Amino acid sequence: MDIDDILREVDPTFHTIPQEKRDLQELTRAWTAERSAPELLPWPTSGLFERINDSIKHQIEKVEEMTGDMDPKTNFALIVIQTELERYRYLVRSYLRARIAKIDRHTLHYLSTDDLRARLSEMELAYATRHQALLHNHYLSSFLSSFPAGLQNLNDAAGGISMIETPDLDAAVFIRLLKDTFVTARGVDEDDAANMRESDIIILRWSDAKPLVEAGSAELV
Amino acid sequence: MALPLPPGLTHPEVAFLAEMELVTVVPRQRLEPIDLLGGKTPPLRPPHRTDLPLWLALLLKKQRRANILPPPWLHPASLADIIHRETKVTPEAFSEPPPAPARADVSQPGRARRQGVDQEGDDGGIIMSAPFRPACTADAPAGYLPYHWQEVAEALLAHAGDDVTAGTAGATVSSAGEVRGLIRDLVEVRAAKMRSSTAQLEGFGAGLMSLRGVGAMELAESRGFVLGVVDGVRRIGASVEGARREAEEEREGEESDEDMGI
Amino acid sequence: MSYYDIDSILTQSEKIPCTFQLDIPDLGYLDNTPTQPLKAGTKVNLPLWLAEMLVIANSGDAEGKSFVTFDLPPALGNDVVQALKADPRAVPLRDQSPHFYGLGTHMMDLSEEQEMAAVLRKTFVTRAAEVALHARKVGGVGHRGKGPEEGSNLGIGGAGEEFLRGLDEWERKLFRKAHDGAKSGKEWMEGVKKH
Repeated sequence: MDIDDILREVDPTFHTIPQEKRDLQELTRAWTAERSAPELLPWPTSGLFERINDSIKHQIEKVEEMTGDMDPKTNFALIVIQTELERYRYLVRSYLRARIAKIDRHTLHYLSTDDLRARLSEMELAYATRHQALLHNHYLSSFLSSFPAGLQNLNDAAGGISMIETPDLDAAVFIRLLKDTFVTARGVDEDDAANMRESDIIILRWSDAKPLVEAGSAELV
Repeated sequence: MALPLPPGLTHPEVAFLAEMELVTVVPRQRLEPIDLLGGKTPPLRPPHRTDLPLWLALLLKKQRRANILPPPWLHPASLADIIHRETKVTPEAFSEPPPAPARADVSQPGRARRQGVDQEGDDGGIIMSAPFRPACTADAPAGYLPYHWQEVAEALLAHAGDDVTAGTAGATVSSAGEVRGLIRDLVEVRAAKMRSSTAQLEGFGAGLMSLRGVGAMELAESRGFVLGVVDGVRRIGASVEGARREAEEEREGEESDEDMGI
Repeated sequence: MSYYDIDSILTQSEKIPCTFQLDIPDLGYLDNTPTQPLKAGTKVNLPLWLAEMLVIANSGDAEGKSFVTFDLPPALGNDVVQALKADPRAVPLRDQSPHFYGLGTHMMDLSEEQEMAAVLRKTFVTRAAEVALHARKVGGVGHRGKGPEEGSNLGIGGAGEEFLRGLDEWERKLFRKAHDGAKSGKEWMEGVKKH
């Protein structure tokens, strides 16, 4: 008996939302956020993706079993199961691809500090490192090696401009407030601060939205 | 491999999300629970109503296994009422989104508690939101457009038109054409608001702008443009903003010097 | 600014009128007189990237006299600003510079131009609304509403085309975004029935 079970017995309202439903909400929210945020967001450490990948694997096995004994009665259930399975796979795939797009675009940036590297999953980190090494070798053999030694770097910051491009953290985003929240946001003429209501949909800079999203008071839409 | 899409959900992605909205079905056939990744489906027993995600409800509908009860806000009277409010009562703003459903908390009498808010505590709890906060079921309130109103309305009109016209219990039978016409009017009225909100962007000297009540499809259509304008205003104003910040920091510096009695 | 951003690189090669305040040896080639020193008071058009470096490096001599001063490029000159104040939609920005706003923000970085910031912001937002209107029309999204934009004198032909031709790069990107949004909305509406 784990702590969840104990709590459930003590407080019947605890976990009124089943784990599967919470996982789907979290997966959907993570996907929407990754598709909307100008920068790569941290890989969820809650075990969400491990859980979802496991259940997808089990479900695939079940589909294989069911197709083995093709009883017309289970046929409709099979269609439903496969449809849902495809929906989950689409979400997971799209989430991972959105992340890879960001990693590809700013590889050197996300590999540049420990804090940034910590946002990547183990697989993503391996991918980014290897991909960057391949690219660099390719550049070297095709043209970089013909450059004077001083011009061969890909991470120079001389002249006030870094060669390592970074995402625009001040890019504007849309968020929805999940609870009544005091929101502060920087503007050109003046900075703004206001008590905003649950369900408000707000345009503001990502750098101002980020703390609200991280605190769970808001979500990207 | 990498997703070649610009930031922000596109129309097909928003439509995909909307298919997870719960709708109410009246089964025409029995169906045993199915073990899905999102949890077991409830058993279907005609004529007992059940709430199911839209994608599953549409699957059942296409196979004539169930009828879909349209959400009360999709009724012509409700749509007409919303149009009236959007044009006459608050012509500047979108109409209010559905209220977060509250229910009395048994363990804490007198304190209403939001449904869909997990009681694990503020830190570990998860707050459900569209499409997982029920807003398109038969129990949803009339007169409020939920976040995915346009997608759900179009999907129901396209694939369950007969159910939409059958109307909710006790209501007069309407024509699909009537609902369609009202939806079209609503789209027009609100698109004009989205456009005029661009004009407000000039005054986007401050950092916040609220589009409370806006729908997901409306956002998908205007997102790239609106965010492009906001980003442009920021870049044009960057030097002004930088100078203002410097001046403010100086002033604060002086004030704190005074505070310290220097 | 991004290192590999082509628009940003092109913006940086726009020419800025600069005036040297001191004689500079061996720089005569900037004024087509190689072998000669560059005389104080010479006006030379320098690319923005170079002008920017000279201005930033411009700590001045012992008397605090700077060795180079710059003026606003003609694209941001007084007559353009006045025309924009009168009607932002009537000025073909592209004829001034394909990177009109990019150039403007760079110049404002170099010297505080409060008024220009206000004029450019108003210009950008006013023209953006017009851009959105045309993008919807070209995107093929008919709307029957009699919105305020119906009063615009820019129809889909003639003047409309003229306006679109006059868009700078920022505005072209906006046009594409607005157009893509409208187009994808239309495609979704048409696709609903098929699934």
